[in-house]
Amino acid sequence: MFCIVALIVLSILGIFSATNRALAREALDCVLRRVTFRPCTTGFDQKMKAKILGKVLGRSEKAAIFISKNFELLAWIFFILSVASLFFTLRGIFFFYQYGSCNGLNQTGVCVFDPKGENSKVSNVANSCNINSGGNNDLTLNSVDLSLFPVKNADAKDKLIFIGCYECEYTRKAYPLIQQLIKDFSVSYTFAHYPTKSDTNYLGELGMCIYQQDQDKYWKFNDAIFASDLNKLGDQNYINQVLTDLDVDNSKIQLCMFGPQIKELITSQVQELEKTHLYGTPTIFINGEALVGPKPYRVYAIQLKGLLYWLR
Amino acid sequence: MNLERIRKDFPLLQEQSHRKPIVYFDNACQTLRPTSVIQAIDEYYLKYSACGGRSMHHLGEEVTNRCDNSRAAVAKFLNASRKEEIIFTRNTTEGINLVSNSLDFQNGDVVLISDKEHNSNLIPWQMLSKKKNIKICRVEYLPDGMFDLNGFKTALNERVKLVSLGFTSNLDGVKIPAEEIIKLAHRNGALVLLDAAQTAPRQKIDVHNLDVDFLAFSGHKILGPSGTGVLYGKYALLEKLEPFMVGGDTVAFSTYDSCQFLPPPAKFEAGLQDYAGIFGLAEAVNYLMRIGFDDIQKQETNLNEFITNGINDIPHLKIIGPADPKLRGGIITFYLDGVDSHQVALMLDQMANIQIRSGQHCVHSWFNAHQIAGSARASSYFYNTVEEAEFFTQNLKKVLKVL
Repeated sequence: MFCIVALIVLSILGIFSATNRALAREALDCVLRRVTFRPCTTGFDQKMKAKILGKVLGRSEKAAIFISKNFELLAWIFFILSVASLFFTLRGIFFFYQYGSCNGLNQTGVCVFDPKGENSKVSNVANSCNINSGGNNDLTLNSVDLSLFPVKNADAKDKLIFIGCYECEYTRKAYPLIQQLIKDFSVSYTFAHYPTKSDTNYLGELGMCIYQQDQDKYWKFNDAIFASDLNKLGDQNYINQVLTDLDVDNSKIQLCMFGPQIKELITSQVQELEKTHLYGTPTIFINGEALVGPKPYRVYAIQLKGLLYWLR
Repeated sequence: MNLERIRKDFPLLQEQSHRKPIVYFDNACQTLRPTSVIQAIDEYYLKYSACGGRSMHHLGEEVTNRCDNSRAAVAKFLNASRKEEIIFTRNTTEGINLVSNSLDFQNGDVVLISDKEHNSNLIPWQMLSKKKNIKICRVEYLPDGMFDLNGFKTALNERVKLVSLGFTSNLDGVKIPAEEIIKLAHRNGALVLLDAAQTAPRQKIDVHNLDVDFLAFSGHKILGPSGTGVLYGKYALLEKLEPFMVGGDTVAFSTYDSCQFLPPPAKFEAGLQDYAGIFGLAEAVNYLMRIGFDDIQKQETNLNEFITNGINDIPHLKIIGPADPKLRGGIITFYLDGVDSHQVALMLDQMANIQIRSGQHCVHSWFNAHQIAGSARASSYFYNTVEEAEFFTQNLKKVLKVL
């Protein structure tokens, strides 16, 4: 059993050290002999046992006696731990590839590949809007009326619903990736603005007014807003300049903005979005699967086209 | 003997590994080298690394002269009649192989060995028995570990062409009564070859007084460089021997069909020699003679007594060879049933930086015959201290408590 543990450990260490590579080869030879029911003639297990005991004995006689007496048992324990560790490592790598987090979909535990947890950060909805979220498992589009939200390429088979807010840092991070995604693949794309920051609530209303006036200009408006410096979003003059650049009918927009209908629409949109139980932005539903936080491009692509999306 | 000063001559004894000083008790395998030997080797490569015995230029002449001086130093070390009786080899094994391949053995000749020979004094005869149909006879050591002289007398007969024995056993350090054996063998018309690998480091060898015919030893066991050795042979016998390895610098001249060999030792030293090693070996024998064998033996015996007394109380520990440490030179070989000797050696190395030998010490035949898996061997030399011996016994007890 010790040979198997040693093979696993030394193989990993062997990536970095030639000495360990040689020992790993010895361990492999020992394992191959054991699995073919031949005795391990290399003496590898005895040699390693002696080396370990020698090191331990230099520090603690009691510990050395304990290890010597329970060597096989300890080898079994380390074997189980090694296998479990290997399983969880491979699982973590797979999860990171598929979901952008070693811990699984929308999980925020420690991940060596994303040490700062950038792929799972969200602008918290609950703090600003007092929504009590049930967590990741409750995220759903069931009974949510998506017809209230702007949609592009509605007839496409794959559906992507991007819930975000104009002023939110992580929504802004995910936005260009989603735009790239809908360029690369044929996707029905719905953008739902969820105002987590009260300062820029009006941008949601403004956006919907533009959408009602000219759908194409709405998507350009979104592009312009997400490409803008975050500090300028509160500057009315800057927003006016954006509208001027888009060549929208400002008088109609003003009428829309101060009319009761748009307020009702926005309220309805927020009510609908709360049915999703979202707890942070961005929350992106791709074919019904919710991805919370700004994931790498591949994660979105995998949700659309599978693990081997890059072959397509 | 000023041990403190002597230890300073050995660079490895000043080293530390993992913040622990080296405690070297594997001297029967090979000894450490003093600085003067290392310098002698360096000097060749730094100052006159040229061909000896061939090139006429001043560097070549320097090498030739130093080689002659080295041969003379070794001849003096053995008290040989003339320096031409000294053949430089790679080690003891090569010396024995030279005799086994060069001596004129006939079908049915007997080579008499003991049952405790190093492989280097067993396998050459096994090979020869296949090639020339010689017979190998064995004299068994007595149960107390001593050489059986009566058994030897019984085994001697007119068919014995050569008596080939280990002068001092590398297994247990026991010495054979060489002088008596040689007299008996000669009286019986047999030649005698002594494997002196373990004797040369610790005892003045006087080949003239011993009247031994051939004697081989290694440089690496007498403070010299590894890959060096010596075969001594009586000049008259060497003249009759056919060289078994031939080539460059072994002949006076050659035609396409024949050649004329040079006289000994040149005809046995084929190809370019290990000059650096030879000069290192000469310095080693000079160093040993400066230390003096009386002091060497005294220190070794002292250490062996200390270690033997220190480990005698370990339950079930068995010492191979005589119980009296005085009869075992610097060697103490021991084992415990069910305890892997390799593990003992590895643990001592890992925990305390103590180096000993483990296994069957190239005497597999004896271990197989006695059904002993292996043993641990601690072998001291004159530069070892009582403190080191005490450190060894203390740590050995700890190791055996764990295993």
